[in-house]
Amino acid sequence: MLELKDLKLSYGSAQILNGVNLSVKRGDVVSIIGPSGTGKTTLLRCINYLAKPASGTITFDQIRMDYRRADKTAVQAIRLRTAMVFQQFNVFKNMTVIQNVMDPLVVVQRKSKDEAREIALQELERVGLSAKRDSYPSQLSGGQLQRTGIARALAVRPDMMLFDEPTSSLDPELVGEVLKVIKDVTSSGITSLLVTHEMQFAKNISNRVVFMDRGVVAADGSPTEIFDSPSSPRLAQFLNSERTLQ
Amino acid sequence: MDLNTMIPELLSALPLTLAIMFVALIVGFCLALIATTFRVRRVPVISQLADLYVSYARSVPVVLQLFVAFYGLPLLVSLFGVEDFLSATIAAMVGLSLYHGGYLSEVMRPAYLAVDRGQHDAADSLGYTFRQKVTRIVGPQAVYIALPGYGNSIIYLIHNVALVMYIGAADVMATAHLVMERDYNQYQFETYVVLAVIYSLLCLIAWLIVRFFELRSSKFAPKAAAPAKITIMASV
Repeated sequence: MLELKDLKLSYGSAQILNGVNLSVKRGDVVSIIGPSGTGKTTLLRCINYLAKPASGTITFDQIRMDYRRADKTAVQAIRLRTAMVFQQFNVFKNMTVIQNVMDPLVVVQRKSKDEAREIALQELERVGLSAKRDSYPSQLSGGQLQRTGIARALAVRPDMMLFDEPTSSLDPELVGEVLKVIKDVTSSGITSLLVTHEMQFAKNISNRVVFMDRGVVAADGSPTEIFDSPSSPRLAQFLNSERTLQ
Repeated sequence: MDLNTMIPELLSALPLTLAIMFVALIVGFCLALIATTFRVRRVPVISQLADLYVSYARSVPVVLQLFVAFYGLPLLVSLFGVEDFLSATIAAMVGLSLYHGGYLSEVMRPAYLAVDRGQHDAADSLGYTFRQKVTRIVGPQAVYIALPGYGNSIIYLIHNVALVMYIGAADVMATAHLVMERDYNQYQFETYVVLAVIYSLLCLIAWLIVRFFELRSSKFAPKAAAPAKITIMASV
């Protein structure tokens, strides 16, 4: 479904992605783990071209694009088939919860307002936010904001969900409500890529775990392979440090 | 000289003053929108020209900009074979429009840039076009941020309309000078006080209108950041 080949990206003199290769099959739930600053979020942002790699290729089903010659049509086609959940929520501040979910359907997908409203209500029900549908983001907690972000992403009916550290900006007591929703989404069979520092959660919901280190994929395997028998000292060291923190 | 004759005489020049102001407001707004779009999108050459224009409008004294418009425009239009079309009023409108547009662009640009980068990311990731993103998401948020600065720029414009008398436009200020000279400058203080009241009222009306839009667009802002209810004392 998704294949990334030899992605390279640098910010100034800092090489962030150093030739990343990754393939994802339909229905996969892939967790991407690794130390901070190793390019996990950037990798996710390359998929929908929020970050622009200097070189490399992406194949998303029939869409193929060389990043050196990125064209608007391919970028838009990929964006319409993916949906991203952001670390900082990025819920549209000038819209209510239901408007956040409806707006992309009406403006981008050209659905009627009635149809968009129906979909939005379904998704808000799914994430448990029906009662807050007329609230503005400034009136919501972090967990509610993130669930709005997830409902907005689900409403566009994406082929792939991209979760970028969805719980990292939340207070510890709000993490649970968001993880519960993500677990529900991933268990519904939608292909998902999840950048996370929640190791236990990654182990529970993923069928594959990718360990990134210094801008490359350093290990790739099932949760058992990655967490129970780390293939490299660097991975073992990283997992130990995460366990100590948790 | 009594107020009953002086005030109507001053007010008779108000329509021209308001005409100059409204033309500058509307044309300046359009110029600011165009300049800001180019400055934000960084189109080669055009963006640099927009920067240069804004720098001119902000750094050259307004009275000097009016003289440049008054003496420069006839030279410019004569290149196209047009003679004698330019009056002081048109020069005043052109000069103030250019000034207001440049000044306002420097209100709009920071407001646009102040909108959280994440709002752009979310819109882009969902497939919004640039136009859709600006009109639906970034624009309304930038308007909320820009409104206080916009209010200030309108007040400065109202103040600067008083300078058009230097190029011979017959606005309220110029009329006041005629009235004072006719009375051998006996009633300068009274005339200036009446002028001050007229300008204060104009600014107050402009401020109330901007404040109304501020309150309207603040419905999504956190309570603490939303503007307080209108209090006249805190106005201009």
